[in-house]
Amino acid sequence: MSQNQELYHLDKLIGFVGDDPAAVANMVGIFLQTTPELLETINLSFNQKYAEKIAKAAHSLKPTLDVFGIDSLHIIIRKIEQKARAKEIDNELFELINKLNSVLEDVFNSLKINYL
Amino acid sequence: MDAFRIFIVEDDLLYGEMLRRHLTLNPDNEVYLFRNGEECLKNMYREPNMVSLDYSLPDMSGLDIMRRIKKDFPEIPVIIVSGQEDISTAVTLLREGAYDYFVKDDDVKDRLWNVIKKIRENLQLRSEISYLKEEIGRKYEFRNVIKGNSPSIKQIFSLIEKSTKTNISVSVTGETGTGKELVAKAIHYNSNRAKKPFVAINVSAIPKDLIESEMFGHEKGSFTGAVTRKIGKFEQAHGGTIFLDEVAEMDLSMQTKLLRVLQERELTRVGGNDLIKIDVRLIVATNLNLAEEVKKGNFREDLYYRLLGMPIELPPLRYRGNDIILLAKHFVDEFCQENKMKKLSITESAQQKLMQYPFPGNVRELRAIIELAAVLTDTDKIDESHISFNAVDAAENLLMEENTLAEYNRKIISHYLQKHNNNVLLVAKKLDIGKSTIYRMIKEKQIVL
Repeated sequence: MSQNQELYHLDKLIGFVGDDPAAVANMVGIFLQTTPELLETINLSFNQKYAEKIAKAAHSLKPTLDVFGIDSLHIIIRKIEQKARAKEIDNELFELINKLNSVLEDVFNSLKINYL
Repeated sequence: MDAFRIFIVEDDLLYGEMLRRHLTLNPDNEVYLFRNGEECLKNMYREPNMVSLDYSLPDMSGLDIMRRIKKDFPEIPVIIVSGQEDISTAVTLLREGAYDYFVKDDDVKDRLWNVIKKIRENLQLRSEISYLKEEIGRKYEFRNVIKGNSPSIKQIFSLIEKSTKTNISVSVTGETGTGKELVAKAIHYNSNRAKKPFVAINVSAIPKDLIESEMFGHEKGSFTGAVTRKIGKFEQAHGGTIFLDEVAEMDLSMQTKLLRVLQERELTRVGGNDLIKIDVRLIVATNLNLAEEVKKGNFREDLYYRLLGMPIELPPLRYRGNDIILLAKHFVDEFCQENKMKKLSITESAQQKLMQYPFPGNVRELRAIIELAAVLTDTDKIDESHISFNAVDAAENLLMEENTLAEYNRKIISHYLQKHNNNVLLVAKKLDIGKSTIYRMIKEKQIVL
């Protein structure tokens, strides 16, 4: 099973579900099903300036990104949640969400190639 | 211990599934995943050993669910696993009775295992405490448990006392109802193993196919229906005593396995590979003659010698003389106390009736007879009319008296004379004996008309 070390690493996930390729693939499947939904919520809510929804979705996304070892988003997702809770719907938040979208898009593509 | 049941309440499908899979890595855990609070509450009848709650759920907050769980099931530990890093939330939850509070970070796995270990240890301790309380409450000082002053029972006391000082295996034999398990418990609770478990197995009561798993346990998936790991009775009895009742009923293949476990002092669970060290004291009981079973080829000779240890043969009640009355009085007192009745006495005639009866069911039967008599009487006395032996076969009783032939002759002739108004000629004809035989017995006062 190859991994893109720059984008993500699945050590933590394997630590949770065991070194079982089927279990890992199953978890990747769930990730690819649930994460785009949360991402979409964040994007839509930003457009609608619905800070609370952004905060909630970011809060849900936080542990998932940690478990999938997407280290480049570790600080970004926390900043998004923090700013949304503070109702700071500004350009900085826009940039952070853009970064989130871009990294996750790469992660989705890579995971699809490697695991599906 | 049986399966450790864990409820995970988590609306994040990925995280919930990940926790479920992680906790299921231990085959002892039986893990249920619920996506919201209501589902969890609906399933509380399953009595989980632990609930892991996400703080933010779609239908209610973790705090609300925890309050509802604590209201109805205060003993069940609730853990909060949350993305919420706010310390004040954690403090509130802990104050409200959460067992622990974890943030969904890199340490969550280790924290979960630690907390599960702690909860399991607590459960084990709680179950041991209640077990000990229950057993100690019964006061297993053997002279309190096994009543009697007859020479035969005094000899049993002496053997029990000797057996408590070492770990020697003990084989208890005796007719049904003589108190074999009571002796086994008396030995255990007066030995230095008293604070460890006493585990009894009735070999004859367990289906042949299940006995190995019952005794030595099994691993998850080792056979159809083995949905979780099961700890066998030998492991449960570790450090304590295992009592194998009706051991003669064990089939030869199981005898071989038992012998190996006793020789090696280690076992392997069904479907497992690990060798598990065990330290148990063995007490066996049977109402069959094991030596005879060896001769017949039904019992392994090598196992017989290993089990024999100190043999204790319990006397039938009918050979214990005045112990019958002593026990009868003890049972009536106990029954009156348990049922909050006034104290009852046993009349002389009732005592005589009891003394003449052979008690094929031994002490167990005496207890039943006395308890029935205590219920039947309307006064503060149990008399002979309340003593009923209807439950057993009279002819069998007569044979169990083990009299001489002359004594049986006397009893039969007396019975016929009574039945036929002392008509000697008629009785002689019915029994096909000479009338002079009957007249001689009357003259010699062997028979009193």
